[in-house]
Amino acid sequence: MSASPRQPSVLPGFNLTLGLAVGYLSLIVLIPLAMAFLKAFQLSAEEFWAIVLAPRVLASYRLTFGTAFLAAAINTAFGLIVAWVLVRYRFPGKRLVDALVDLPFALPTAVAGITLTTLYSSNGWIGQFLKPLGIKVAFTPSGIVVALVFISLPFVVRTVQPVLEDLEAEVEEAAASLGAGRWQIFRRIIFPAIRPALLTGFTLAFARAIGEYGSVIFIAGNLPMVSEITPLLIVGKLEQYDYRGAAAVSVVMLAISFILLLCINLLQRWGRLRQV
Amino acid sequence: MSIEIQGLHKRFGAFAALDDINLTIPAGQLVALLGPSGCGKTTLLRIIAGLETADRGNIFFDGEETSGRHVRDRQVGFVFQHYALFQHMTVFENIAFGLRVRPRASRPPEPRLRAKVEELLSLIQLESLAGRYPSQLSGGQRQRVALARALAVEPQVLLLDEPFGALDTKVRKELRRWLRRLHDELHVTSVFVTHDQEEALEVADQIVVMNCGRVEQIGTPEQVYDAPATPFVYQFLGHINLFHGRAHSGWVRLGGLRLRAPEYQDARHVPALAYVRPHDIDLLREPEDRDSTLTATVSRVSILGSLVRLELLQTPGGEIAEVEMTRERYAADPLKAGDLVFVKPRQLRVFLQQDAESTSPVHWGGHGDGI
Repeated sequence: MSASPRQPSVLPGFNLTLGLAVGYLSLIVLIPLAMAFLKAFQLSAEEFWAIVLAPRVLASYRLTFGTAFLAAAINTAFGLIVAWVLVRYRFPGKRLVDALVDLPFALPTAVAGITLTTLYSSNGWIGQFLKPLGIKVAFTPSGIVVALVFISLPFVVRTVQPVLEDLEAEVEEAAASLGAGRWQIFRRIIFPAIRPALLTGFTLAFARAIGEYGSVIFIAGNLPMVSEITPLLIVGKLEQYDYRGAAAVSVVMLAISFILLLCINLLQRWGRLRQV
Repeated sequence: MSIEIQGLHKRFGAFAALDDINLTIPAGQLVALLGPSGCGKTTLLRIIAGLETADRGNIFFDGEETSGRHVRDRQVGFVFQHYALFQHMTVFENIAFGLRVRPRASRPPEPRLRAKVEELLSLIQLESLAGRYPSQLSGGQRQRVALARALAVEPQVLLLDEPFGALDTKVRKELRRWLRRLHDELHVTSVFVTHDQEEALEVADQIVVMNCGRVEQIGTPEQVYDAPATPFVYQFLGHINLFHGRAHSGWVRLGGLRLRAPEYQDARHVPALAYVRPHDIDLLREPEDRDSTLTATVSRVSILGSLVRLELLQTPGGEIAEVEMTRERYAADPLKAGDLVFVKPRQLRVFLQQDAESTSPVHWGGHGDGI
């Protein structure tokens, strides 16, 4: 399907659309990112490594990527269930629930953060029941996971939903007529069909959670080494006019994110290659 | 395994999809459910499979009531019009699926399973494509895989829902002959749904003609074609000519034609319809006697391969009739457009119009187009 500019193609506008796409991506993504790199490379190598490998910074990477991964994983499981319920069953208020799913996108993340903090603090509606069990959510890393789960909920639901809707009922009927039980049908027929969408949803949720700032800073408590996320560290450096230090940490974060997303994409492609 | 269906009813909202279906399918036969789209044939097939439940009525497999049994426990093989293959599995795995999902105790060991699948692959003549995915196969190949997949579990009954409906004409013809041969080898009780009368006539042992949720006629291909039980069957199977006239005290008068019809002894000037197949008509140059022929003029002659089709315009009334004859017979007396002929039906079936109207729409004075 690849159209090279030399080969005449039936589809018009190759040069125009490619030019626009590249120009747009440069303007929106590449140039700002290049700025961060340029700023970071004003540092000497020793300075750069000293900043990005400082213990406090290392702890923040672990926290940021760990909580983002956990939140994305939780949403993959529960997002699948939400999508399943929305596609497979009819119940009163279904449209309302469907609309509710998108709400975390629309809500200012700071509002989400403050609300969740209030709910999960030791005297909040939910927090007061967790306290006797010895579970502290607000102002701990678990609080970060809660906030990230909230803001990344729609991704898995919205990527899996259309694929589930397109699944032919006949394929499941065929499996049932061949003697497969419900669980076997899910595991062998439905799950392989939605796996790519599930992985895409996971990737989107993961990427979104890595970059999340607004909601997390309210619920995290922001203790250095314990509950301080990398984006907060970067903002902290900016506030101290340490632009180059902020750029250095950003560059590392970008690099890790890029490598992780690339890996997931490769996984996706590998999965597809096995099928076709 | 024989299938017996008693008093089956099914409604979708206000629409009666099946209305009192009674049917017996003897073991080992290949039966066609034939009818126009929306006549309930697919619904009936799906109820037999257990993919749909009836509102009322019973289905017996070998005398055993099955209504309460789940589709996975019915031991039916189901083949869908659009194949419904598992896209993410190879041809081999598709066929093996039914064996792999068996409970551990009855699951065949891997070598036996492989042997079984390979045997089925050779049956469908696709040994070389075992490693392909369904998206890499042609429609005919996909349907053969779907059939092998259904046969892998050794079903007691094979149900096929318009199995050749999505294929082009040539593949369709090949595949239905192949299905017939396969059935002659395996003798598994099979029911297939079709709206294609040619397909039903060619392949089936028995044809069940359905219309509007009811069974119109059950019989061998010869029976339903030569002796249709209702006007609907007449119109649905093959081409027909329709003449209208009146029945009165055991006689039917159609234009100049007067016929004995002892079954309508009690009729008093009741409008009647007569059905004649285009190949059941003789054309004469001279009138035989007053009451046995209609007069008409030839309006068009078309030569269709081995057949010649003549279009006639009846002189009184102007109704159009179609006649088919072989090339040899036409050559013996080549009629031309404009010739006056005397029409003598060799075989003709009369239905009173109230019956006819209650069962089917009627083309006035035209010719039914066999679908």
